[in-house]
Amino acid sequence: MALVTEPKAPARGRVPHPLRAEWVRGFAPWSGVAVLLTLGIPVSAKADQWQGGWAETADLVHTGMLITLPLAVAAGCWQGGRERRRGTGDLWATTVRPPLTRLLVAALPVAVWVAVGYLLVAAGALLATWPYTQGDRPHLVLLPGDTAAMAAGALAGHVAGRVAPTRLMAPLLAVAGYVGLGLMTADGSETGRALSPTTSSLNGGLPVWWQPWAMAAWTGGLAVAAALAYAARRRVTALLPLAAALSAGALLAQTGDGLWHTDPLGRRQVCDTSVTPAVCVNARYAGMLPQVSDALSGVTGKLRGVRNLPVRWAGHDGEPRADEAALPGITLGWSVVRGRLADPQQFAWEAVAALEGYDCPDSARTTRVMWADDAVESYLAPNSLQKSGKVPGDGPAEERKLLAARARLAGMDEHERREWLSAYFAARAACDAKGVPAL
Amino acid sequence: MTTTHVARAVTTTRGPLLYARSRALPLTVAALAGTAAFAVWAAGRLDAYLDPDRRVPIVALAPLLASAVIGASLYSASDELDRTAVRPWWPRRLAQLAALTALAALLLTPAVLGHPETFGPPAVLRNTLGCTGLTATAAVLLGARLSWLPAFGYVTAVYLGSTTAHGRAATVWAWPTQPGAQPGAWAAALTAFVVGATLYAVRGARPEGSRG
Repeated sequence: MALVTEPKAPARGRVPHPLRAEWVRGFAPWSGVAVLLTLGIPVSAKADQWQGGWAETADLVHTGMLITLPLAVAAGCWQGGRERRRGTGDLWATTVRPPLTRLLVAALPVAVWVAVGYLLVAAGALLATWPYTQGDRPHLVLLPGDTAAMAAGALAGHVAGRVAPTRLMAPLLAVAGYVGLGLMTADGSETGRALSPTTSSLNGGLPVWWQPWAMAAWTGGLAVAAALAYAARRRVTALLPLAAALSAGALLAQTGDGLWHTDPLGRRQVCDTSVTPAVCVNARYAGMLPQVSDALSGVTGKLRGVRNLPVRWAGHDGEPRADEAALPGITLGWSVVRGRLADPQQFAWEAVAALEGYDCPDSARTTRVMWADDAVESYLAPNSLQKSGKVPGDGPAEERKLLAARARLAGMDEHERREWLSAYFAARAACDAKGVPAL
Repeated sequence: MTTTHVARAVTTTRGPLLYARSRALPLTVAALAGTAAFAVWAAGRLDAYLDPDRRVPIVALAPLLASAVIGASLYSASDELDRTAVRPWWPRRLAQLAALTALAALLLTPAVLGHPETFGPPAVLRNTLGCTGLTATAAVLLGARLSWLPAFGYVTAVYLGSTTAHGRAATVWAWPTQPGAQPGAWAAALTAFVVGATLYAVRGARPEGSRG
């Protein structure tokens, strides 16, 4: 008896697209991984300095283009030399597809993957900063220009790899691109800075709304023009993207430093006016107000009833006005780490030091004034040295006098101390060294 | 029927010379000289007489480019044929790597004369050793043609990320941007070179054939 089995029907799976392998295998995904690691590692190493600030996060990721853009160019260049290395150029030439299609089939996966690698780092950084933000809103305006520049770099590199038959071309482009971008961004002229895809505002400003799109047209136009000039059937078509790129470039170069404007939010501040002086922090870090108020509560408590104080500790960008004292800087990675004040005691000491007329001329800082400053700081918000009884005096005699001054201020009765502090702050506000009352 | 024998003068070429040609060493030496010239030119533009810290880009990037050039020369176009040789390869490989590294360090030194404690010749020598070590390791693991990529990623990432890094650990992992007298940085770079040179001498560059 023979066992008869039905022949199995052929598996009806979806046949993968012939070009799928170009996208998911080989060098293209690895180029994305290389960008991810090369940018992701330094960004995470510096996490203290950007986590919690939308502007700081966006600025660091944008500055990272300094290394990812040359890497994208080099990756594209490496991919461009692939057919030569494999010896499959002649085989490709026999296909019915036009040269431009053949070029794009190999070039686009790398262009897209390096852009994806960059976007993943940007998205990761934005997600990591989100839980610690204290105000402001995500700064996404530079991302389109950066992503387009990454893809354009890979495409232009691909053309260079096709043209130049040498193994050294890719590392040469990488290092030369890094040095060139560094020179353009750091030491370049205003025109060079405007045309560099890695430039950011010198003083933390925002780009005008069209800057990223003009940058995308500038970088993308040049890369597409190079690809068309190399591989298009009608090479004259390269003139179209070239014209677009030159127009965008001319627009960027003409505008120069006008491409950046001050963040209007940075000029605003939120204040706690229930105390004197009022405590104001920059609106970009509005969520820090309770912590800052808390850190300064000891100072404001001791200053209750004292006259001649500045109206507020101001946190807005720029110099404080005549009746204001500058709030110590909220600098991520230093005074603030992940939405928390790193050292409230030091912050309070700096805030007291800001009340002491920091912009007075040196002639107003006599020894007597400095002793009075030290006594006031030690009373209101001692730093760790003052707290442990250490004195900055020059020799034991001076140290004894400093300690005595501190003890006298601390030992006054409430009314006497209020009067002394009122006279002290009046004299310090007027930069009048002789008006500082004796201790 | 007459047979004509044409006598041909056959010149025999010595083994080392053939080896040098097969590894494109003349082109490599020319590229190293070009790298050195570029470094000298760039250093001249930096105006680093008063502030040697301005030399950090040269100290970090010139050895990186030199190591990429050296890495490209580790490629063998006939690795299958090479493996049939009866003579050991490791002395030739080691000599090639050591000689090119020494030459690169020597050529790059004029770009950073002076300031040996901070960013002078010792720092360039250290970075040349470290970058070449990384590149040689990558040549063994990835292949000589792509050997520049890990060192480029590492050095540029360190250059971007180490500006505010302090502490003993930073002197080790951020060795490309450390001053010349930093023992931790020297230890890291020397380890990278010893590992890379040993791996390359023993294994040779990864066979690549005509792969992409």
